[in-house]
Amino acid sequence: MNDIFIDVDYAQIYKSGQKIGGDVFLLSRNPDNNQVVCTLSDGLGSGVKANVLASLTAHMAHKLSFSELDLTHSAKIIMNTLPVCKERKISYSTFTIADIRHPSLEDIHINLVEYDNPPALLFRGCSSLSWNREKIDLQRDGAFKKEELSRSYLKMEVGDRLIIFSDGVTQAGMGKSLPLGWRVEGVRQFAQQQIERNPSISSHDLSQAIVRKANTLDRLVSKDDITCMVVYARKPRRTLVVTGPPFTKEKDALLGEKISAFEGRKIVSGGTTALIVSRLFNKKLKVDMSCWSPDVPPCSTMEGIDLVTEGMLTLSKVALILEEKKQVRTLHDDAVKKFVEVMQDSDQVHFIVGTKINEAHQDPNIPVEIGIRRTIIGRLRKALEDNYLKETSQEYL
Amino acid sequence: MGKREKVLVKICVGTACFVQGGADLLLYNDFLDPVVLANCEIEGSSCLGMCKMSSTKARPPFVQIGTEVYGDMTQERFCKLLAEAVNA
Repeated sequence: MNDIFIDVDYAQIYKSGQKIGGDVFLLSRNPDNNQVVCTLSDGLGSGVKANVLASLTAHMAHKLSFSELDLTHSAKIIMNTLPVCKERKISYSTFTIADIRHPSLEDIHINLVEYDNPPALLFRGCSSLSWNREKIDLQRDGAFKKEELSRSYLKMEVGDRLIIFSDGVTQAGMGKSLPLGWRVEGVRQFAQQQIERNPSISSHDLSQAIVRKANTLDRLVSKDDITCMVVYARKPRRTLVVTGPPFTKEKDALLGEKISAFEGRKIVSGGTTALIVSRLFNKKLKVDMSCWSPDVPPCSTMEGIDLVTEGMLTLSKVALILEEKKQVRTLHDDAVKKFVEVMQDSDQVHFIVGTKINEAHQDPNIPVEIGIRRTIIGRLRKALEDNYLKETSQEYL
Repeated sequence: MGKREKVLVKICVGTACFVQGGADLLLYNDFLDPVVLANCEIEGSSCLGMCKMSSTKARPPFVQIGTEVYGDMTQERFCKLLAEAVNA
C-alpha cells in the first residue's frame, strides 16, 4: 500500500436559480502507476449550454491527458470541437488539468495546465508558494482571441495543498460586498486562515469552506457557478478490518501479531473472531446493549480495538450502504453506522479475512443474506474503491 | 435476610442467534416483569459458542442463565425461566 494519499475533493454551488452547473469537475485515479488526474472546466454562459461545453471540455481534457498526445495539440483539438454559442458566436470554455504522479513519498509532482481559469494556489503548510508558469501561445486558426495556455511542473511535499477554482469564486461579491469581487488574493488569504485554524483540514472541508464563503460574499445569490477543488497530499489514514477466525487454531497467534503491528484504526467484525482477539490480548469484551437495531446486532467494546461488531449481518449491511452511497446521517445509530463512518474516514482499508467455515451458518434456517464472507468482503472492497475511491487490500488467514 | 445476588444472564448476539430470534430477546425491557428484571443482571455475549457444538440438540438463540445455557429461546420461555431462576 502507498505511504502517500492524494486527498482530492471539490465543492460546488450552481448559479442562483440554475438546476445544472456550467462548471464540471472530473477525477480519475490510476493506482497502477500512482497517478491522479483532476480536471475543472467552466463553460461559457450558464445552465445546460455551459454544462455541455464544460462536460465536453473536461472529458476530452481528461482523456487526452492520459494519452501520449502533445498538450498544445490536445488543447487545439478541444477548442476545435466545442460547439459555437448561438448568441455570442464563439465557442469557449476554460479548463485546468492537474496530473499528479506520486511514485514515492519523496517524489510527488504535478503537471498543471491552465487555460483561462483563475490561477491555482499552492500551499505548503500555511504559506502560499508562487512559481513561474510557462506560457504557450496556441495560434489556432479561427481563434477569436489570443489563446494562451500556461503550463507548470510542480514538486509537491507531504502536507502540500493545491487549490483550483473557477471564476465564480474570484468574482464572488462583485458589485455587492466587494467592488471587484473576492479576487485571487482574497481566496489566498481565506484559505491561509482556514489552514492556520486547522492545519490538517481535509480537502472536503477546505473546498466547502471556500465555496460557502464565496456564496456568502454573493449574499447567497450566486451570480455564477462557484466551484473549488482541493488536492491535499498527506499520510494515509489506515484502517484494519479483521473478520472471521483463522483456518487453523495455530494461526490465531499470527492474527494477534498482525493486529498489534498495525498502525491505524482497528475493527474486529465477528463474534467468534472477537472472542479470539479478546483471548489473545487478554482484554475484556463487553457488549454494548444500547446500540443495536432489529437487523443489526449490538456492537461491543474492547480496549485497543476501535470497533467490535457482529460479523456477517453487519458487513453485508455496510456493503449495501456503501454500494448505495447512503448518507451516514440517515442511518440508525447502530454498529453499521459506526462501521460506515470509520470506512468513510479512512483512505486505506486492509482486510484480514479468516477462512474457517462457520458451522452454525450452514443451517438452512439461516437467512440468505448471510452469504459467504469472501463474497461480502469483495462487495465491500468494490464499493469502497468505486464509490469512495479508497484503496483496499486483503489477505486470507 | 441479606440482599440476594442478582441472576447473571447472557444473551448471545452472535449472527446465528440474532437472526433466529435473539433480536426479539434483546427487547427484554419491554416484555420482562420489572420485578424479575430488577433481580437480573443482563448482558450480551458476542458468541456463546453453542451454535457450533454438534453435541447439543438445542438450536439458536441461546441464552445463559446463571451457569446453565438454554437453546430454542423465545420471549415466553425466557420470561418463565428467568422468573424461576429469580425465585429459586
